[in-house]
Amino acid sequence: MNGTPLPRIGIWVRESALYRSIVRHGAADTNRNRSLVIFENLFLHMHPVKVREKTLKFTHTYWLGAITISALVVLIATGILLMFYYHPSVPQAYRDMKELKFVVDNGVFYRNLHRWAAHLMVLGALLHMVRVFYHRAYRPPRQFNWVIGVVLLLVTLLLSYTGYLLPWDQLAFWGVSVGTNMAKEAPILGPPIRFLLLGGNIVSENALLRFYVLHCVLLPVALLGFLGVHIWRVRKDGGVQGPPGPASDDEVEP
Amino acid sequence: MALRRVFAITSILFLLVLAISPLKNALRPYRRFQGEYAKLGASRAKSMQAAKAYLQKPVAIHQIWLPEFENRVDRCTTCHLGIQDASMAGAQEPFRLHPGSYHTPKDFNRFGCTACHGGQGLATLEKDAHGLVPDAEAPLMPLKYIESGCGRCHDSEGVSGAATLSLGREIMEQKGCYACHTVKGHEQFRSEAPPIETMALKTGGEALRRWLTNPKTVDPNASMPKFQLSEKEIEELSNYIFSLSPSRQMADRIRAASSEPAGDVAKGKALFAVARCISCHTVEGKGNGTAPELSTVASRATPGWLIAFIRDPHAFNPRTRMPQFNFSEADVRNVVAYMESEFKDFEAPKEILDPIRVNQTLAEKGKTLFRQKGCFACHAPGAEVDRLGPVLDGIGDKRPASLEFGKRTDLPHTLPDWLEAKVQKPGSFQDGLRMPTFALSPKETQAVVTALLSLGAKPVPHAYRSVPSTRPSLIPGGTVGALMDKYRCLSCHQIGDRGGDISTAPLTAEGSKVKQDWLVDYLTLSFTIRPILTDRMPVFQITKEQASQIALAFETFYLDPSIPEDPFLGQNPASNDPAEGKRLYDTLGCRACHILGAGGGYYGPPLSEAGSRLKPGWVFKWLKGPQKWRTDVRCPNYGLTDTDALRLTSYIGTLVKSPKTSKTARGGAR
Repeated sequence: MNGTPLPRIGIWVRESALYRSIVRHGAADTNRNRSLVIFENLFLHMHPVKVREKTLKFTHTYWLGAITISALVVLIATGILLMFYYHPSVPQAYRDMKELKFVVDNGVFYRNLHRWAAHLMVLGALLHMVRVFYHRAYRPPRQFNWVIGVVLLLVTLLLSYTGYLLPWDQLAFWGVSVGTNMAKEAPILGPPIRFLLLGGNIVSENALLRFYVLHCVLLPVALLGFLGVHIWRVRKDGGVQGPPGPASDDEVEP
Repeated sequence: MALRRVFAITSILFLLVLAISPLKNALRPYRRFQGEYAKLGASRAKSMQAAKAYLQKPVAIHQIWLPEFENRVDRCTTCHLGIQDASMAGAQEPFRLHPGSYHTPKDFNRFGCTACHGGQGLATLEKDAHGLVPDAEAPLMPLKYIESGCGRCHDSEGVSGAATLSLGREIMEQKGCYACHTVKGHEQFRSEAPPIETMALKTGGEALRRWLTNPKTVDPNASMPKFQLSEKEIEELSNYIFSLSPSRQMADRIRAASSEPAGDVAKGKALFAVARCISCHTVEGKGNGTAPELSTVASRATPGWLIAFIRDPHAFNPRTRMPQFNFSEADVRNVVAYMESEFKDFEAPKEILDPIRVNQTLAEKGKTLFRQKGCFACHAPGAEVDRLGPVLDGIGDKRPASLEFGKRTDLPHTLPDWLEAKVQKPGSFQDGLRMPTFALSPKETQAVVTALLSLGAKPVPHAYRSVPSTRPSLIPGGTVGALMDKYRCLSCHQIGDRGGDISTAPLTAEGSKVKQDWLVDYLTLSFTIRPILTDRMPVFQITKEQASQIALAFETFYLDPSIPEDPFLGQNPASNDPAEGKRLYDTLGCRACHILGAGGGYYGPPLSEAGSRLKPGWVFKWLKGPQKWRTDVRCPNYGLTDTDALRLTSYIGTLVKSPKTSKTARGGAR
């Protein structure tokens, strides 16, 4: 052990079979043990064993990715609360908005928090990409992660859009009518995509249910999946930016 | 370190921001209202225990949930806490006791609040609940239109207890709104406006011009509204009307009548009074007023037309309410001679009845106008399948945003205000609108707007719909049907769910009500049953034979199964006791309204000969509950027992006309 005097009870807990079955490696401050802690933990294994202090500087990231992820956490938390009060059906959906306002404790607060966090997430993601772009952090070896990032932005925007229909008010109805009609104009695939999205030819109860499932299940799962890859890739590439890899043939070093 | 300080400060600010919402939640106004209500209730309570109960009520959201009624949730009672609390009579809002009505307080939990009052039932904040926010469906219904709520469930024309709504529906029918506007249940409506083909032989160019300019100035009873017509358009329409030629038969009739010798004015005057023309018409404002004012009729119609029309009105206009009197040829001549001598507009130019020399080009333009302005909707109904006005079903649920206010920038943007202005001055919204002006009084406007607001976008659930309880009207076929059509019984009397409202005696149960012999006498020479009424049965000069046929048919068809022929059958024999009945008659105060013998009030019908007029079964049932037979009747319901009602019945049965007094009695009552 590292010689720090721990209270007796702490030692007893740390050495108990139950604790050891969960935290296998203890707190031994050796390089090997640090590596084992990281490698053998599902949540930590994507982290590098060592991080350079320089890469954690504020001016490197402006915390934009972190802000985006924090917004996502707020969104998931408030989203789950809102799901308790929401029925994705035509007679009930808009009424539930009113119920949030009139009888649910802090209902308006949850709803507004969800809404503003969604805006913040889109804004954060965009600024994050701008930052990456101007730091030329999209270049090899991070070109794959840049593409993942673009996919993440798309999924975020889709989440915003699908959430737009759920209040089932005039704004939602016409927003989705216009949006899906734009999708219809795409050659060949347009009309089938619209049909698939709406579950029919008009914005109706089916569309509401589909958008609800997309918003609450499919898109969040996709987002979390890509996000895992994204963060894992950041770690494997040695931080959000840094010395670029060897220049490709057609690229001139600045 | 600076970064950490920033972090700490923002964290604290963020926490404070997070506290705002729970704080707002804890300070919701309804909590304060419930506290005030508890205090008020405790101060008004009669016992310590009751006061304690007020103070111990937990603060909570109250609601009336109606899963069967569009899943309504009305939380109005969260603040309006005293609506069912008798001790809150006259308290300040929002705690005041709800005034009593047919449905309140017993049906609060069946209808909720918003069904009648509008507003947002879900809301628990005043502005939201009263619909004063942009996202509310509708603001509270102004109390002067509150009866529109009754009409959402009650489809029938007349709704007892909702006088304004009933009046509004009646006016809509009478003014012919349904001729241009589609409303469910009124698809079969046909205006009784006359066909225009015989107009050229009836009236003159100047008279027609005056009429088209504003019918109300010519005849205050006119049901035709004022259209927005320019001088030019009036000329075109007149040319069109005078370019039409009636059928040869009608033309011959009118020409033949116009060349008849003049009648006797004095005899005509007597007949005009006896026939009771003013039971429907007016003369200088005196009379019922459902038919045209007659004081200037001779300046509006030619004598030949008048004679031919009175002889057979139904040939001119099959939809008219005017009955065909059994006058002799000379009778009609005399009446028209009387009208020619007195019912003239003496200030009008002499040539007021001169026809127009038709200009074909103008007539062609007039023909187009007749269609464009929608004249055909009333004057030639059925010519066009589609009604030309907008559908009115659902107008009561229109949102202000979908209403066209046009030039009326002065109006508040609410549906009732829009409707009120639209009904009163349709022309003020925009130039060239086709809807005419109906010259409604403020009271009539209120009634019509109430009726319009009762037309909801979707029907109420079946369990809430009130099906009219009146029986379908039954009109016998054959000779009697033809006679009833000829004398237009339905213009004044109600039969089942149809008929006019001039007479106070519906005919639906007439066969169970009056004795056949009496009816024959009455039809051949109608006399006044209730002297207080000015609108009396006209004297049609029905022949004895026709009267017998009609009376027999009434005896056969117009029966009510709930009225027994012999009410004494199976009852206590002691109840057939006229002497005891007379005692009851005197003690109950029947004399206050009914004439009997020498004295009595004159509000109700005299009972001197009631025994020869009324059947005992009817008298018995009437005494048991007069309001069942006519809701507006003033005869009180004494809540008599069967025995007492039968005693009175047996007494009234003894009141027959003695052969000696019959002539004078009848003559006096006439």
